[in-house]
Amino acid sequence: MFPARIEHYARPRTVAEALAALSRCEPGEAIFLAGGQSAMQAIKSRMLRPQALVDLQAVAELKGITLTGGALTIGAMTRYADIARDARLGGAFGALTDAASHVGDRQVRNRGTIGGSVCWNYVAACTPTAVLATGGRMNLGATSGATRSLAADDFLLGPLETARQDDELLLSVSWDAPAARTGSAYAKWGLVTDALPVIGVGVSVTQDASGKCVQARVALAGLAGGAQRGPAAEVLLMGSAGDAATIDAAFAALAAEADTHSDLSADADYRRQLIQSLGREVAQRAFDRARA
Amino acid sequence: MPVVKLTVNGTRYEEEVPERLLLVDFLRERLALTGTHVGCTFEGVCGACTIHLDGEAVKSCLMLAVQADGHEITTIEGLAGDTLTPLQAAFREHHSLQCGFCTPGILMNMSDFLRENPDPSEDEIRRGLVGNLCRCTGYVHIVRAVKDAARRMRGEA
Repeated sequence: MFPARIEHYARPRTVAEALAALSRCEPGEAIFLAGGQSAMQAIKSRMLRPQALVDLQAVAELKGITLTGGALTIGAMTRYADIARDARLGGAFGALTDAASHVGDRQVRNRGTIGGSVCWNYVAACTPTAVLATGGRMNLGATSGATRSLAADDFLLGPLETARQDDELLLSVSWDAPAARTGSAYAKWGLVTDALPVIGVGVSVTQDASGKCVQARVALAGLAGGAQRGPAAEVLLMGSAGDAATIDAAFAALAAEADTHSDLSADADYRRQLIQSLGREVAQRAFDRARA
Repeated sequence: MPVVKLTVNGTRYEEEVPERLLLVDFLRERLALTGTHVGCTFEGVCGACTIHLDGEAVKSCLMLAVQADGHEITTIEGLAGDTLTPLQAAFREHHSLQCGFCTPGILMNMSDFLRENPDPSEDEIRRGLVGNLCRCTGYVHIVRAVKDAARRMRGEA
């Protein structure tokens, strides 16, 4: 398979040039190319037939991981490999490295980017779920010069759909400085090692000085609706001591309520089982990181 | 038509290419470097087309030739000098080739892997190989060769 005819290829060096390149095209004619590990599959199979490609590989300001006073910003063009090996990203941001270090395979992690993944928002993908669990914000710039920032909850609309408009470029994903005693984790189960998640679970928790859970976010990957929160587990974790019995109950409740489906990879009951067993493991690890 | 200027296995090339030409097809059909194989053809899951882009293992079927402009590429043809690399020698000794179709991609991926992790465990090697399918299913020999090559490259007997 190879792509349909492409009329124009641009390789801007700055965000301003990237947006200018986009504004020279008719709406919907051009697409931004990040790492291309999903988009190129779609272009080769001709599910996507862009007239123009704006390749972001040379835009240096879209790359890099910045920690300032605990607040984290990851440029949209930062690769999984760079996130996976950043030793500063434990604790509150542990879910991000958990997810990035198990995406696809080495070759994919050497090209694929956080921005590409959240903008593609594939129905079963690790990165959108890890970003949702940790409460990331998406920072967008538009061809008009306007910028806006959206919570992951408002950005991730459903499989292959986000709130990004055709005239917008995702600049970065950012997180406020986490409260003390915050930990997060992510894990998935797939048919082979590091495969797409049949089910993936991300958890972020904060404990107060007495050990009480005062913040809990749970997100799931692998459901037909795409990356989504798991409020049924969150309400039970909140106010608890993060003990094993509460964690069990929280993920039993989420598994019972989750809208799981059956397909060739797993049936609906098996997906419920995975939510429970992965949820237990991930929540335990998130609390361990919060206590560390 | 855009012009790409790139270095492949130490040689500079300057070629006009259509925008939609895949890097793997550029390497195979324009430069006649047919050691880079095409297996799955579009999903990007088989890893047979793995090359080094600026020293890192990537799949050349998930890139356009125009994207490689200004970059340095190494293919399987450029991996060895006058003698086989320790990794290639280990593959020969441990009978890791079998039909040989997946071998170039695996060598390109594992040579980058061993640079990053010179003393890998068997689990780490197996995880490193996830992006390369061997349909002879002879991973036992491949894992053994990678482990042996790592040992030799660390200067152990």
